Amino acid sequence: VTVQKPAIAGRSIMEGRRRVVVTGAGVVSPLGDSPAALHQALVAGERARKPIELFATDAIGCREAGEIRPFDAQAYVGERNLRPLDRTSRLLVVAAQLALADSGCAQPGVPRPAGAVAAEQQAPPAEDAPLAAAPPPAPPAPPAEVGLVLGTTFCSLRTIAEFDRRGLRLGPAHASPLDFANSVINAAAGQAAIWHGLRGVNSTVAAGEASGLMALAQATELVRAGRAVAVLAGGAEELCFESFFGYYRAGRLCGSRRRVAAAGGPEGAEGERPVPFDARRNGFSLSEGAALLMLEDAEAASARGAAVRAEVLGWGAAFAAEGGEAGLAAAVARSVRLALADAGVPPAEIGCLSASASGSPEVDRAEAVGVAAALGERAGALPVTAIKAMLGEGLGVSAAWQAVDLVETLGDGLLPGIAGLERLEPGLPLPGAAAATRQLAPAARRWALVTAVGADGHCAALVLGAPGGPSPTAAVPEGSAEMAS
Amino acid sequence: MKGGSHEVSEARRIAVTGIGAVTPVGTGREELWASLLAGRLGFAPVESFDTSAFNVHLGAEVRGFSPARWVRRLDPARLGRASQLAIAAARLALADAGLDGTDPSSSRSAPAGQAGPPPQSPPPPPTQSMGGVPPESAGVAMGTTSGEPLEVERFDDRYLAGELDAVGDEFMSLYPCHMIAAHVARELGFAGINTMIPAACAAGNYALAHAVDVLRAGRAELMLAGGADAFSRITYTGFARLGAIAPERCQPFDRRRKGMIPGEGAAVLVLEPVAAARRRGARIYAEVAGYGLSCDAHHMTAAHPEGEGAVRAMARALADAGVAPEEVSYISAHGTGTPTNDRLEAIAVGRVFGAGARVPISSIKSMLGHTMGAASAIEAAVCALAVAGDEIPPTMGLEEPEGDFDYVPNVARRHRVDVAMNNAYAFGGNNASTIFRKCNGLATDSSV
Repeated sequence: VTVQKPAIAGRSIMEGRRRVVVTGAGVVSPLGDSPAALHQALVAGERARKPIELFATDAIGCREAGEIRPFDAQAYVGERNLRPLDRTSRLLVVAAQLALADSGCAQPGVPRPAGAVAAEQQAPPAEDAPLAAAPPPAPPAPPAEVGLVLGTTFCSLRTIAEFDRRGLRLGPAHASPLDFANSVINAAAGQAAIWHGLRGVNSTVAAGEASGLMALAQATELVRAGRAVAVLAGGAEELCFESFFGYYRAGRLCGSRRRVAAAGGPEGAEGERPVPFDARRNGFSLSEGAALLMLEDAEAASARGAAVRAEVLGWGAAFAAEGGEAGLAAAVARSVRLALADAGVPPAEIGCLSASASGSPEVDRAEAVGVAAALGERAGALPVTAIKAMLGEGLGVSAAWQAVDLVETLGDGLLPGIAGLERLEPGLPLPGAAAATRQLAPAARRWALVTAVGADGHCAALVLGAPGGPSPTAAVPEGSAEMAS
Repeated sequence: MKGGSHEVSEARRIAVTGIGAVTPVGTGREELWASLLAGRLGFAPVESFDTSAFNVHLGAEVRGFSPARWVRRLDPARLGRASQLAIAAARLALADAGLDGTDPSSSRSAPAGQAGPPPQSPPPPPTQSMGGVPPESAGVAMGTTSGEPLEVERFDDRYLAGELDAVGDEFMSLYPCHMIAAHVARELGFAGINTMIPAACAAGNYALAHAVDVLRAGRAELMLAGGADAFSRITYTGFARLGAIAPERCQPFDRRRKGMIPGEGAAVLVLEPVAAARRRGARIYAEVAGYGLSCDAHHMTAAHPEGEGAVRAMARALADAGVAPEEVSYISAHGTGTPTNDRLEAIAVGRVFGAGARVPISSIKSMLGHTMGAASAIEAAVCALAVAGDEIPPTMGLEEPEGDFDYVPNVARRHRVDVAMNNAYAFGGNNASTIFRKCNGLATDSSV
């Protein structure tokens, strides 16, 4: 078998470059608003899908999604005025606040949430501490400047469409200037920067279901190149009528499949099965949320005393310029090979995979075939999860959720099962995709792989490493870069 | 064996070897450049939608654009307009780089200055010849403000007419902005990294910066980088509501300026390592010497009152390029023509270059309006052309300059341009500066 050689030689570009670490994360999701809570829900196999209340679904033969309910942004941010922010921006502002707090990177001079201030005031003053006890360690100083790279597919399609429709209904003089400011696709990133005083690089990346991973990749490169010391990176996406209806009509929701099937039988006869890799999957369940990881230069993070949760070891990206499942699978394989080569981790050392699979019949299969082609023998025994079984397809936020949860898995060794998986599609070359949550062996908790696959052809992969683990460049025997390629 | 610091730095040098553009004042590098040097204006009453309910009516639309001329592999009817414009710009850029021998507008096969419709030619090959670069190592990075806004408008028309049943799969297969970069890549067979950066009106510069990083890291051998936006009632309505659209003329940096004029277009630059470009004997317009990004974190639509973020972006770009302010020989301004932008931009430039700096500054938005996500990509092309040809396009409509800068009023100028800076500012407080310089007087490629 002739293997396409990646465009890069992993080892050669690794020499002397900065290491990138994860020092915290913030999550807003239908299954929890902290990495730990989300992980607990995923490990327990909870599912986000519920009847939609955000908008009327009368015109749609599919009525469930991963709506965050209740989502009270005000409860997180205290007294500050949320009115100028649409739903996507609110999701992002909250995720950013949680990530900044979790990593100790809140920017000085920026208004603090009421809850945080109250908690500090309740903390016992240092004088009350027993005399024998050592003084509490100084909290890590925040970086001088924090950047933001956001992955999103739509930002707020609802805001854009509402702005347009209001102008059409009432005349252009009645269109809302505030909505217009929010209608640009980088609006959420801009709003979060204003809210939290993020004065570093501010970028928005759109690559379909791979957006969140491409944002992590771009942030990694900025830190590696010394262009940024600390960057929040991840994704955000809101649930709205426009995108839900659009995907429904495009036949991509599990409910759209039912609609198609209904032509030959009673509505709902086949049910809605947004179950990744399952033999009877019939589309994805749309979802919403935001997730950001704080990526920092390892030396700078260490100097400021930040806790390291994981290391970003490498990434790869490719595009399926040729349509069809085979083209997509080939692009998946290339992205995984490039990520492994960039990380200097051979396939045999990958401990587990958080797959992009969402229940889409064609895309899930292409992903499995592509990953297996890249990993070779390792694919047969690799523990695989696909958390969209629980969370649904969050588009721009999906891969960021995957990365956040995989950091938790590297910590406690628990790899969530694929809820609802009854029978793996016969012949699917990832037999380690399982319904039940598993405890990973210690050796499988060092290096983990995230894949993100967009139905429109965008493929990306990311290798995460456990904190304090050996540098793969040192740990990998000679010649393994060639294995990876 | 490869190795040594010299080779590392050589590998990090990135060249602009092709320029393609579709703009309100011309299609293709030669026509665009000739129009800009001649001071041709691209403004006319808007035709793509009814402006009778507005109190402004001018726009800078691309007229007479024929998608079928450029979109050959995909079905042009299954693409949004921004994708069509982007594909045209990408094909022009590749031809300009000598990477498509079949394209009649290729500068290699046509005498300089020859424009006009292509002769009838046999069906083209499915993908471009890429100078020996495998498709997997050829990537696309594009910027935009609105993506494919006409697809939302079509959806909204149906929504308000109660005709949602007419919505089919085209909405989600045409609308998401990542489809612009995806369509370019599918049309041309580029299978490397594919990124859409919707960083609003600085998006072209952001995409260029990303492409430079990708090439410097060895993640691709060839990149198409640029921006695209389609003329849209959403954008027009928004800027009209902000009171930002000029009723008659776009006059950046003039005391009596009344605003910007929305436009549309696309520009794509072919980027490749300098060493690779030299190996294949490509013409190098300029080297992308560096870039700087920052965020005001101040206001969604208004720049920081002291130009704080813009100053940081410029300073970072200069440091990245290893260029001192006095070495910059031309600044392509963001220069929208709105009272606020131009005033704050002049303050920021003054803080970096000194209040009495004599560096020529011009805004081509005085001619082709504000083409949104395409703007800073077109302006990057202009910087590369200024560096290559030692000519600077004028700021048109300039009668009473505000402040003391040299805005190159109304007439193009011959002027040696060793280093050009391209400034772009966007909603969300995004700032991006890129720097281009002459690619000569440098060590020849030692690794061959």
